[in-house]
This record gives sequence, structure tokens and C-alpha cells, in this order.
Amino acid sequence: MTPGSKDRLRGTLDVLILKTLTWGPRHGYAIARWLEDTTGDSLTIEEGSLYPALYRMEQRAWIESEWGTSELGRQAKFYKLTPAGRKQLRLETAEWRAFVDVVSRVLQPES
Amino acid sequence: MAFQLWSPALHRRLFRRNVTDAVATELDFHLAMLEHDLVRRGVHPDEARHLAAARFNNLANIAAECRSIGHQTERTMRRTLHLQEFVDDIRFTVRQLLKAPGFAIIAVLTLALGIGATTVIFSAVDAVLLRRFAIAHPERTVFVNEFFKGQDGNVSAGIYLDWAAMTRSFSALTAEGFRTFNLTTPDAPERVFGGTVTADFFPALGVAPLRGRVFTAAEDQPGNDGVVVLGEELWRSHYGADPGLIGRTVLLDGEVRTVIGIMPAGFDPTTSQEQLWVPVAFDAARRAQHDEHYLTVVGVLKPGVTMQQAQRDMDGVARTEHQRFPKEANGAHVIGLVDFLTAQYRTPLMLLQGAVLLVLLIACGNVANLQLARSSSRAREMAIRAAIGAGRGRIVRQLLTENLLLALLAAALALGLAQLGIGALRANAPTGIPRIDQVHIGWTVAAFAVGAAAFSALLAGLMPALQLSRRDLQGTLRESGRQNQGTIRDRVRTALIVAEVALALPVLIGAGLLLRSAMHLQHVDPGFDLDGVVMARVLLPAGSPEQHVLAAERVVDDLSHRPGVVSAAMTSQAPMGPGGTSNGLLAEGRPFSQENLVQSRLRLVTTGYLQTMKLRLKQGRWFTDQDVAGAPRVMVISEAVAKQMFPGETPIGKRVGCCEPNVYKTVIGVMANVRSDGPAQDIVPEFYLPLAQAPADAWGWIGNIMSVTVRGATPDPAPATSAIRAAVRSVMPAAPVYRITTMRDALSATIAVDHFNTVLLVALGAIGMLLAAIGIYGVVGYFVTLRTHEIGIRMALGATGEQVLRLLAWQGLVPIVIGLLIGSGLAVWSARLLQASLYGVSAHDPATYAAVTAVLLLAGILATVAPARRAARVDPVRALQ
Repeated sequence: MTPGSKDRLRGTLDVLILKTLTWGPRHGYAIARWLEDTTGDSLTIEEGSLYPALYRMEQRAWIESEWGTSELGRQAKFYKLTPAGRKQLRLETAEWRAFVDVVSRVLQPES
Repeated sequence: MAFQLWSPALHRRLFRRNVTDAVATELDFHLAMLEHDLVRRGVHPDEARHLAAARFNNLANIAAECRSIGHQTERTMRRTLHLQEFVDDIRFTVRQLLKAPGFAIIAVLTLALGIGATTVIFSAVDAVLLRRFAIAHPERTVFVNEFFKGQDGNVSAGIYLDWAAMTRSFSALTAEGFRTFNLTTPDAPERVFGGTVTADFFPALGVAPLRGRVFTAAEDQPGNDGVVVLGEELWRSHYGADPGLIGRTVLLDGEVRTVIGIMPAGFDPTTSQEQLWVPVAFDAARRAQHDEHYLTVVGVLKPGVTMQQAQRDMDGVARTEHQRFPKEANGAHVIGLVDFLTAQYRTPLMLLQGAVLLVLLIACGNVANLQLARSSSRAREMAIRAAIGAGRGRIVRQLLTENLLLALLAAALALGLAQLGIGALRANAPTGIPRIDQVHIGWTVAAFAVGAAAFSALLAGLMPALQLSRRDLQGTLRESGRQNQGTIRDRVRTALIVAEVALALPVLIGAGLLLRSAMHLQHVDPGFDLDGVVMARVLLPAGSPEQHVLAAERVVDDLSHRPGVVSAAMTSQAPMGPGGTSNGLLAEGRPFSQENLVQSRLRLVTTGYLQTMKLRLKQGRWFTDQDVAGAPRVMVISEAVAKQMFPGETPIGKRVGCCEPNVYKTVIGVMANVRSDGPAQDIVPEFYLPLAQAPADAWGWIGNIMSVTVRGATPDPAPATSAIRAAVRSVMPAAPVYRITTMRDALSATIAVDHFNTVLLVALGAIGMLLAAIGIYGVVGYFVTLRTHEIGIRMALGATGEQVLRLLAWQGLVPIVIGLLIGSGLAVWSARLLQASLYGVSAHDPATYAAVTAVLLLAGILATVAPARRAARVDPVRALQ
């Protein structure tokens, strides 16, 4: 990895989690599995790095959590998107698009 | 997935769990799920556990990171929650207060009055006592006075220079003399007050000039001293604050001096109000002069030298000096400059501050009382709030918030009131109180007001708040809003009356004592008839002693022909007037010693002085036109001199030496004592010499300045005043006339500080009594309302209105009497602090105590009877319905 790509990855992780939660509240394990399923092998996310990201985002009030009962009947913490989180997601999505646009315009061969 | 209802805030409060647990549980769950999935895909359970754990790199680190973030989040949330609650409280409070605006207005006004008064006095304490003096080392700056027979006095040039040469304790020992100068301005000659200072005076005090520079050592030499430093006020008022004045010349006492610097506004280290400074520039004769004590010596202690060490050092120096000049030199006294200047005002100011705090406490008592009255109607509201889960702490907090809001409103209003009060204070403050003109609402004072408000809020609110929150929930709800007759609360109310009366009494007694003292001063015999007398200072033109006498006599003669003048005279110093010198008198035949010398104030007078002032001659005769130069030398002494010098003998015909070597004067009369320094000051021995026989040196002592005194034909001083101006102008066109005042005003000025204290304390006493009476009225009124039902029964059973009245009055009177007993104890304890401010009345004057107690009792009875009478008119039928 080149320097800076770690930050990009962390930002990416945040935005992916936010995206995950747009389909409704879910717990950490479910988020991990969803990320794994959608991104396949193209983006490997370390199992553990998910949680500090969740806690940080909760601190920024992008997500809120509450304790509930999971499918196994165990106590699990469910995360939910807040209005602030939704706004953040929109912002980041727009930024990503702009970024991708610029980069692709540069890389596209002149026609 | 299973979900409870989403209400995160409530949910989080109800099911809060600690962060460490939460992180562990969450990560455990994740591992368990991984394991579960692996097993479902056919992995062996043991293997699955192993694999699951392996997917987590560094579980411990991740857990720690999560915990740390989680704790931070938790803290932020708690803060937000408290803030939210506070905002809720405020919002709720505003709603509540708007519902009962009467209560809010009365509470705010009461507190504002108390806080405002406290703030005004504090602003004076702050300006006069607390704020640092604007000099470099206030704690090391001292006065060094000559000390003789228990009295501090000024220092002669010779002694000052010897002291400065011998002492080792000071980093600088400077001297300042004071005199008035003739400043020639385009309009008219004007008298300005100035200081003559040694070159190190300004550097020692460490205050830099606003513009220009101060004196050099070279300029502090005779012949080279044609320079002057102006005060900012004079620069502004006379020269329009023109920066170009530096380097220009002014005419002072007819001499040309170059303005070299301007001292900043408020530079007045010794509270002398000089308008300008010139170098003292001692000449050889002055340096050798040890007997003319006129300098104020200001020293700065070397770092590390204590006041005691400096005093010991100066004791040794003064002993050496006394051996060299046994007649002239005395002891030395080192005294802190700040202490010396403020000592006189410290106790009165602290007393006022104490009194005003008592008044604030009474105001708090009244607000607490209002709260209690309100609390009975709010009991239900509180019970409901408690029932839906508000904790006791939360309710107390809400009630205190309510008080805080009231108090802050009161503080804002109080600062406005204080601004008015400070304006009045500055306008009426007597001169001479250091820095009183600098009283203003600064940060310290504003902070004090807010602090006083917070304190009041706590005091007035805590007790009712605790009471309200403690109340039995179910009982209150069952009563469905009927006012319950809590006996505890009644006891609290009764205690409030006791406290308010006990607090009001000392303030009132202090005020009463000061009033008695003021009345005493009104009746002190000044020794002459001062009504109708106008006086003014006049500077005689330079000339010989004969010319001075002639000029003075011509002014008197001119005056006596003018309309509106009954009689006129000239004197070197009028009573209550400035100037004056004193001399040691020695009866003929007695050996020279400090014990035999009677220090007495000299008055050089023209013969009309007795008649003009209506002095009372006790024995012998007064001066006549025959007592002139060349005739036998004569003097008139005051009774005080006679008593000290010739106890049990008749002084007439005795010969007394004074003022010039080897000249004796025959005592021809004894004059009734005159209170020359005002009615509050002790009588000073005095003696009179005819102006025509004035010792030659005397003209130097008084700087050629005389006082004109005129007895006018009417009480209106205007004719006499214009007569003085006209007469002086016709005799000596260039001589300035200044400090024109009536004798009555001059006398008032001598007791201005006492008068000021009296007015303030009487005002405070009145406010305190009014507040206490309002408090009593409120409490008794509450009792009456509470007992309406019972009174109805009593009256239905045949009780008369009078009996009911007596019953209720009794309920109000008992706490008043208890309060008076406690209060008089407090007053006896605190009044001794007042003793120094009292004249002709003891701090424990029984008549004052009795009278003031009676007044407060009467106020209490009125406040009790008014609501009680309402009860006596209760219609039993309606009361019982």
C-alpha cells in the first residue's frame, strides 16, 4: 500500500458501512457479511477493523446503536443510520462520483 | 431480526450498560456468529472456533480501541443530556414565571434592590481598598513622618536630607512639599495647587509621564529649576490637551518655567490632588533649616526589607539626628502608604459592606418567603413531576434553575440600579477618599454582582426547593390541591421572620447611632458664630512686611464701607480654612524643654477679627488700634493654652515667648476655644497676634497668603462674596482671590465623610426595615389565609373580632420579639466597630438601642396587624362554606 491509501480505505469503509445500513438496522456481523458478499474478493476488509469504524461513526452521530436479540437468541448490538449519517452518505457518494469522473476523464484515451 | 421500539434516548437511559461490557459482548457475539456459520458449512466445531479466532487479528487491540472511543462517546452524550435538561429547565421556568408574573416581578425587584445596593458599596470597596494603587511598588512604598508626642508630622528639609544620607533601608527616599502657585493664564491670575518634589520622586513611584519627561537631578538645583510637570487634568482644562505644550513656557508665581512633561490622569499617589509639580531645589539656607517641618517624605523600601526593619533603622537615624539637633529633631515613624491613606476609610467601608450584606440577606429571606407561598400552590405540580419519574435531585435542580434565572434577571437590573447608585455616590462623595472618583462597574464589580445573584438564588431557593421535593407524594395528590398545613413549613416561615428582624436591627441601630452622632455634631459649640460669615484666600503681592500689613488693612477698610458687609477682618488662617502654622509657646522663666513647650496654632489677625467672627473673650481685653508695631508686644491665648500653660493661675499679664528668639509677648486676653478643624475634631491650643505686630519670619511661614473674613448683613453669601472680590481688586488689582466659601459650607466639608456614612447607613437601615416589614406582612398574611376556616369556626362559636385579632397578632409578634432579642445581641457585638465614627455618643447608647428597637417593633406590629385585621372581618358563613 502506498501512504495515504490507508486513509482512503478507512473513508471507503465508512461509506460502505453507511450504505449497508440504508437497508435497515443490522448488527456488526451482518454488516461484515454483507460487505463480503457485495464486494466479493475485490475488497478484503479485515474482520476486526469493522468495529472501531462503527464506534467512531457512532461517536460522530452518523449511526446509533441499540441492544436487541439476534437470530441466535443472543444479545447483539444493532446499528441504525441517523439523519446525519444519511447526509454524510450523500456527501461521500457525491464526492466519490466526482473523483471517479475526474480520474476516468484523465485516463480515458482521447477519442 | 427482532427490534424493540426505537427511542434511542429513552432506551439508552433505561438500558444503559457499561462500555467495557458492551464491547466484550459485541465482539463475543461476532465470534460466535462466525463459528456458527462455519459449523453450518460443515466445519468441525473445534476447528470452527479456531478459524473464527484466527480471522480476528489482534482482538485485544480492537477491543481496547472500541472501548476508548465508546467512553468518549458516553461522556459527550452525558454532557449533552445535562445541557438538554438545563435548557428544558430554563424553558419550563420561563413558562412558569410567565404564568405568575406578579411573583416574578416582586422577586426580581426585591433581589435587584438588595444586589444593587450591595454592588454599589462593593464598587466603592473595590476602588478604594481592593484595587492596586497605580504605583510601581505599593506594598513597599511608605511615608516616613517625624514623630513627636504620639503625633505624626511633616519633616524639615535639613532633617530629610540627613535621614536620606544615614538610612540604609530605602532604595529611594523622596520628599514633596505642597503649596499653591499663581498660574498666569490669559484670563486671570489663577491659584493652582502643586507639589515641590525631589528629582527621584517620580522614578521612585515608578509612574512614567504621559508625555515628555520628568525632572533630572541637575534640574533639582537652585537656579536650574525653571521646569514644571503638569497633571493631565490641568493640561486638559487649561491647555486643551495640546501636545505642543511640551517645551513651551508658563508663568508660575511670576517665574518662567518650561513644561517638560505631563503626568497621566489619576496620578495622585498621596491623595493630595496636586495639579502640577516643580523641582524642590533646596538652596543652602533651606538645607541648613531643620525647624520648618513642611515636607512629606515618601520612601520605597529596598526589596526584602520589612516595615519593622525600616522602623528600627529609622529609630537609630532619628536618635543620631536628635543628638545633633535636640530642639528640632524628633522621632521617625515608618508607615505604609496604602495603609496610611486608606486606614481612615477601611472600617467605615467594611461596616457599610457588612450592613448592605445584611440587607441582601433580608431580601433573600423575602424571596424565600415568596417561594414558600408559591410552593403550596405548586405542591401538586411537583408531586406529578415526581410521580412520572423526576428524581428529587432533578426537581431541586429545576427549582434552583428557576431561582438562578430570577437572580440573573435581578443582577441585570441591579447593575442598572448600581450604575445610578454609583453616579450618586461619585457626585456626593466627600473629597479626600482615595480613588473614590474611580468607582465604576468594571469586571470585578460585575462579577461580584453576578456572584451575589448566584448566592442569593441558592440561599433563597434551596430551602423551599428541598421542602417541596421532600413532600409526601401520595398525600399531596390525594388532597387534590387543597393547601396542606405543613407545620414544618410554618416553622420555617416563623424562622424567616426571626431572621429578618434580627438582621435588620443591627443595621438600623448602626444608622441610629450615626444619626445621634450627627445630631451631636450639629450642637457642638464651634466657639464663634459662623452663620453669615464668608471667607476667601488672597495672595498678597510681594513686598515688605509693612506693605503686607498696609495692604491687609486697606482691604479691610475698603470692605467695611461696602454694602452688605457688617464687619470684615484678615487672618492668616480662618477656622475650617486652609493654611496655618503652629509654634511652640514657652512661658517666661521656664527652662526650654519639649515638655514646657505648648504647640499652638498661630492666628495673625486684624483687630476686626473678634467682632467679625463673634468670638467670645473669656478674660482680659482684645487687640486695639494701639497694638501696632513698636508698641508693647501682646498676645491673646485660647483657653486650651491657658489651661495647659497656666493651670490654676490667671494668665493675664504673664509673658510668653514665641515665634522669634528672645522676644516675649504679654498675654492680654483669654479667648474661648474654637473648633478650628470642625466639630468632629479635638480642640487645638491656639493663640492670636495682632497682624501689625507679626514677627518678620511669619510672612514666610504663611507664604504671604491671608484669609479675608466677612460677616454679611444677610444670610445670602452673594453680597459679601462680591464685596470681597471688589475690595481686593480695588486695593491689589493683580492679587488672586480663591477658595471663597461660607463658614457653614467649610464646616460641613470637615464632617462630609461622617455625613456621607450616615446618609448611606440610614438609607440601608430604611431599606432593611422596609424589606423586613414586607416579609412580616407576607408571612402573617399567609397564616391568616391558612386559618380562615378556623377563624370562621371561632367566630361562629362567638369569638369577637378583637379576640381573633389578638390571636393572630400574637402569632406574628412572638417571632418579631425573638428576632429583636437576637438582633440586639448582634448589634451590641457589631456596634463597637462603629465607635471610631461616633462623636458624643457611645456605641452602646441605651437610648438609641431602645428607640430603634421600638421603631422596628412598631413597623413589625403594623405589618402584623394589617393582615390580621383582615381576618377579624372574616364572615363566618363564607369562611365555612
